[in-house]
Amino acid sequence: MVAYRAACGAEFNRFMLELRHIGKAYASGRQVLADLSYTLDAGEYVAIMGESGVGKSTLLNLIAGLDIPDTGEILINGTTMSSLSDDAATRLRRKEFGFIFQAFHILPHLTLSQNIALPLLLNDASTERAEQMLEAVGLRGRGSHFPRQLSGGELQRVAIARALVHSPKLILADEPTGNLDPDTAHDILMLMRREIKANGASGIIVTHSRAAAATADRVLVLTKQGLHPLVPADAADAAHAANAADSPQRG
Amino acid sequence: MHILKCCSTHTDFFPGYWRSIFQLMRRPIPLQGLFVTFFVVTCFAATCVFATPPRFSPVVRDMPLTFPHDFGDHPSFRNEWWYATGWLETPEKKPLGFQITFFRVATEHDRTNPSRFAPQHLIIAHAALSDPAAGKLLHDQKSAREGFGLAYTKEGNTDVKLGDWYLVREENGRYQTSIKAEDFMLHLSLTPTQPPMLQDINGFSRKGPRPEQASYYYSEPQLQVSGTVTRTGKEIAVSGVAWLDHEWSTAYLDPAADGWDWVGANLDDGSSLMAFRIRGKDGGKVWAYAGIRDPSGRFTKFEPEQVTFEPQRTWRSPLTNATYPVEMQITTGSTVWLLTPLQDDQELDSRQSTGAVYWEGAVTVTRDGEPAGRGYYEMTGYVEPLEL
Amino acid sequence: MTKPLNKGMLSRWLLSGEWRTHRVQLAAAIIAIALGVALGFAIHLINTAAFNEFSAAAKSLSGQSDLQVRGPQVTFDESLYPVLAQHRDVELANPVLELDVAIPGNSQERNNATLKILGLDIFHASVMTPDLIGIPAEEKLFDILADDAIFLSPAAMEWLGVKQGDPLQLRVGTQTITLRIAGGLTRARAGQRIGVMDIGAAQWRLQRVGQLSRIELKLLPGVDRAAFKTKLEQELELRGQYLVTEPANEETRVANMSRAYRVNLNMLAMVALFTGTFLVFSTQALSVVRRRHQFALLRVLGLTRRQLLGQVLFEGTALGAIGSLTGLALGYVTAATALHYFGGDLGGGFFTGIKPDVHFDLLAASVFFILGLGITLLGSAAPAWEAATANPAPALKSGSEDIALSKLATPWPGLICLVSGIVFTQLPPIFDLPIFGYLAIAQLLTGGIILMPRFAALVFSVASSTLSSRTSPAQVAAPALTTLALARLANAPNQAAIALGGVLASFTLIVAMAIMVSSFRVSVDDWLKHVLPADLYLRTGTGGDARGLTPAETKALEAIPGLARVDFLRSSQLALDPDRPSIALIARPIDMTDPGNTLPMTGEAISPPLLPEGTMPIWVSEAMVDLYGYTPGKRVTLPIATPAPSFVIAGVWRDYGRQFGAIQMQLADYQALTGDRLVNDAALWLQNGTTSEQVIASMRRLPFGDALDFSEPGQIRSLSLNIFDRSFAVTYLLEGVAVVIGLLGVAASFSAQALARTREFGMLRHIGMTRRQILGMLAVEGGLLTALGAVLGFVLGWCISLILVFIVNPQSFHWTMQLNLPWKGLLAVALILMASASMTAVASGRHAVSGNAVRAVREDW
Repeated sequence: MVAYRAACGAEFNRFMLELRHIGKAYASGRQVLADLSYTLDAGEYVAIMGESGVGKSTLLNLIAGLDIPDTGEILINGTTMSSLSDDAATRLRRKEFGFIFQAFHILPHLTLSQNIALPLLLNDASTERAEQMLEAVGLRGRGSHFPRQLSGGELQRVAIARALVHSPKLILADEPTGNLDPDTAHDILMLMRREIKANGASGIIVTHSRAAAATADRVLVLTKQGLHPLVPADAADAAHAANAADSPQRG
Repeated sequence: MHILKCCSTHTDFFPGYWRSIFQLMRRPIPLQGLFVTFFVVTCFAATCVFATPPRFSPVVRDMPLTFPHDFGDHPSFRNEWWYATGWLETPEKKPLGFQITFFRVATEHDRTNPSRFAPQHLIIAHAALSDPAAGKLLHDQKSAREGFGLAYTKEGNTDVKLGDWYLVREENGRYQTSIKAEDFMLHLSLTPTQPPMLQDINGFSRKGPRPEQASYYYSEPQLQVSGTVTRTGKEIAVSGVAWLDHEWSTAYLDPAADGWDWVGANLDDGSSLMAFRIRGKDGGKVWAYAGIRDPSGRFTKFEPEQVTFEPQRTWRSPLTNATYPVEMQITTGSTVWLLTPLQDDQELDSRQSTGAVYWEGAVTVTRDGEPAGRGYYEMTGYVEPLEL
Repeated sequence: MTKPLNKGMLSRWLLSGEWRTHRVQLAAAIIAIALGVALGFAIHLINTAAFNEFSAAAKSLSGQSDLQVRGPQVTFDESLYPVLAQHRDVELANPVLELDVAIPGNSQERNNATLKILGLDIFHASVMTPDLIGIPAEEKLFDILADDAIFLSPAAMEWLGVKQGDPLQLRVGTQTITLRIAGGLTRARAGQRIGVMDIGAAQWRLQRVGQLSRIELKLLPGVDRAAFKTKLEQELELRGQYLVTEPANEETRVANMSRAYRVNLNMLAMVALFTGTFLVFSTQALSVVRRRHQFALLRVLGLTRRQLLGQVLFEGTALGAIGSLTGLALGYVTAATALHYFGGDLGGGFFTGIKPDVHFDLLAASVFFILGLGITLLGSAAPAWEAATANPAPALKSGSEDIALSKLATPWPGLICLVSGIVFTQLPPIFDLPIFGYLAIAQLLTGGIILMPRFAALVFSVASSTLSSRTSPAQVAAPALTTLALARLANAPNQAAIALGGVLASFTLIVAMAIMVSSFRVSVDDWLKHVLPADLYLRTGTGGDARGLTPAETKALEAIPGLARVDFLRSSQLALDPDRPSIALIARPIDMTDPGNTLPMTGEAISPPLLPEGTMPIWVSEAMVDLYGYTPGKRVTLPIATPAPSFVIAGVWRDYGRQFGAIQMQLADYQALTGDRLVNDAALWLQNGTTSEQVIASMRRLPFGDALDFSEPGQIRSLSLNIFDRSFAVTYLLEGVAVVIGLLGVAASFSAQALARTREFGMLRHIGMTRRQILGMLAVEGGLLTALGAVLGFVLGWCISLILVFIVNPQSFHWTMQLNLPWKGLLAVALILMASASMTAVASGRHAVSGNAVRAVREDW
């Protein structure tokens, strides 16, 4: 199984994230992460669950290069993140990463198309793909609308389109359905999974919700002791959900 | 006789000349020589409204000239001038002509004005140098109000000064003159060889048909000249023969007059000839006169009807477009004189400064076809009105 | 798609998105910059145009001379003229008699003005000053030398309402003379009011026979001017007191006349621009703070620090460029309009009687453009830096705005500014200008504004805790609002302080200017009371060149019944330094037992009995001390006679009338020394029971009665104060602009904050606050903030007014004054400002509370 994934990754996705003995304390001195190690394989979509304050968001910030671990190192394709300058980290981030937030963070003064095109502009790429993505997330023909005309679920669709428009290798999603009602949340999660897979990206989703976590390939639980796979019962649910999300549209 | 005479005329004299002065005045040009307009206007007493206009002495017939007093200034008359012209010879035997004139013009300014600046008399000077080698006339002029010892005409003997230009008659009768013009300098001594020649009726010189149209006029012909001429910083010694006129008057020229032609010539045999005619607007002769004094001192006077002027050849000034009869035949009684200019262009064109334009130049003179002498010839009133 | 196009597109998207949604702040910032630039540029253009025209007009009077020889007094004896005319190195000597001659009739109508008349010798003037030649009528060319003719410039004809051929009456002493207007001038400058006469006629008609004002010299080619000047000065020393001046002296002298005034006006304009700076800063800072999330997101999505910094500065540049260009256009139009309708004189009285044209000054335009752009960038730089260096992850969370601003609020720069400002007040003037005084003002203002957040935090937290400890639970609504408002102000002092920057700056300036103007006005009023002790004043014509009353006429006046006392006064002009305008010499009876009875002494004085035996005392104005070093006790000579008599300076008096200096001396001394028996003015004390009307009526019946102007002290006072107010009209205008800019700042920062606080308002609405209450809270915030701004502004303004009153004014205009505080006016302005700020705050907040409350809470932006 591992060998297969590695081969797949080698074939169309060389992206690899490796966490080595990560430790991080808050400014207040409280230790949140200690000696955390994990390797994310290419194309892998994992969910991270955990109690409030256990450091889920901190972990995402560290992976995104927005924060620097106190101990240990984060390697992306073999490069240590903390060795990069802010500019280099920024360039890596805008090329390889896509972000989805709980609060959507769609720029209010830009149209949907413009919002989605932002990463393309930042990467000096053609903005054509913005329209494709808009269509892919089911907002066809609404590119010239402004965010204030959209519901929360629609906003998050825009965020998903934006996160994937520049074909990043890793999607980081922090409670993407935290502000949505359960029905909408389900749609969004399915969309997210579908698009991540369709784009061949890896994904890390941090969530409280078991239902949400279940849409990932693997579910990990973050505790003070580190990252651990979820108990099998949950895994079965997750696998089921994942299959359900996968099968109807894509073969 | 000189251009100053034009000031003794009534309106419409030199209409074109007038107009051009005005056009010039409307232009922003340096106006140092605005004096020409002044002295031309001086005569318009009728149009001037002064509280107490000065009274000038009239020229009357039976007032014999007395010397040396009459060599000096006559401030009670309106106009007065000393006017020296002559032929010079350079060490290389090249001919030059010169002209030095000092005018005094009385204004209508209130004589009770106690200010030393009160412009009661204006002093104006013209100087010109003709050099056939240069082909044109060098000339300059100055003007100032009399006063402060800076500009004056003195009574008693000839003593006139305008800044650093002066003409002084010494006790021995010799004239000293110095002119520092812009393009040349003249330092000349003029020594008389003959007594003064009183024109017309013992110095009472008629200028028109009316008795009051007259001036007092004597000439000092056959003056021996020595001195220096400086051009472009080079001083050369010169010698020659000159003619000096001194004339003063108050009266006006005839209203019908348009201009005049005048000649004064030192003849080689020691004789002196002076002749003029005043042209009418109709082209006719308003007045004419000629006087000849032979070496023995015998004076012959010719009445207007005995004197005729006949142009022989004309020259058109490229600058002013005026056509001058530069070669003139003059008949006095039975004698025929022919004037031939040293050079055609001896026009004083000061339109850019004073506005005065006239022809004043050295001429050679023949008597009945034979070379007779050299003189100076003046023509005024030939400038056509400028139509703009 | 090419690379720069993409980046450019992103920049444009962000810029247009931002500007589209925040039009109010955008407009406020642009207006602030534009107003500041426009005001500065307009005043510069007007002053430059007026000054250049004034200089050109002054220069046109002296023509193309190499040197000028003049006497210390208005005129000197003409005997020098032939000497100079015949001088070896002189090509041309042009004698000039230049007099300011009074026009008879109602002197109030023409504001006591005089006509400048030049007596010229056409034969020399046509070379030296060809523009000043009269143009006579075609048939009267000789008028140019006529003894009764005068040629007037078009402006003079227009001013006097006369035309060619009309008679012109002039007042010479007590006599009225009539001249004939013979024509115009060759080329007078627009607005220049002059007349030209023949010099001989002028000497005679204007009763100056034998006198000249100056002799202009043209030197022969090749003569070294400096060497000749030295030689001539030595030669002239033997002949009497003469000043040999170069055209440069004249230029300096003309420049000196109005320099202090021009610099002061420019400084005021700069102050308006300076106030605008704070507004731009607050607009930019708040805009950046408001968009912290946005910027943080862009940073997360991959915008580098440099790109973000660039983006903010790009916005600032666009703002600054638009504002500055608008300002330049506005300034040019303002200057052109002002020059067209009001001439070049902005109320200072320095440039009357000229009609300058506005000339677009590219250099000045560039300077003001760069200044406008520069302050905008300066205002953007700090917020931009903060935005770029912020850690994006925490910045994505809300509530971090004030932390961001706290970086901008370290106290040290403020303290350094205050200390350096205090040091600057102790430094002397540079080139006679109070440069350090102005720098001190700028430093105090900057320092005060930088320290503002500290004050605000301190004051509001104290107020907040006091209020909460005192408020009992029973009291509800109003204190709740106040508590909320105070809590907000106390806990987010930096945002409050930014809103306050503009208010503080403008109110400070209003206070400073108001105190200065009021001090000045009260001092002038007191001074007028002191210098006008008599019951009635009489004068003959105006201007320094008027001939005045003869001894026979003064006797006739003294003989009028009903007079208790008559003091005659002789005033004339004295040139002591070719580079400076002439000083006034005033001779009058001075109370020797106590000169303070006659003169408004400033304190420093030597009592006449203590003066050395046989010395003559003079009393000098404050300007004489500053400009000529005439300190009490010093012995000086004055060139009023030959040889120059010496005097002892017995005291210093205050003079608000003549900023170039004045000297007073005993009339008896003056007459004995100069032989000048004429007097210009008289002060009349009436016997009890006699009325002014009776005395005026009897004096009018004298043969020269028509030539006398009478005024009562009250009339002179009100006229003087009128002129005073007019000269400060521009100052009031500038203050008004500063207030508008300050209020724009309040509007901009409150509307920005209100939008930023939409969620807060949404939450408050959720928990049960009405819209009205939220608006009330905003009004209280605005009012409290402005109140603090007003209090601080008052303190700061008072400090600055001290600098204006005790440093800038004495150094610029050489007069001192007493401090006077116009409490009522300032209180009124403060209340108006508070009310407007509250209303502005409410108006700005109205939009923010109008949205859906539920939605507002969910919104993150």
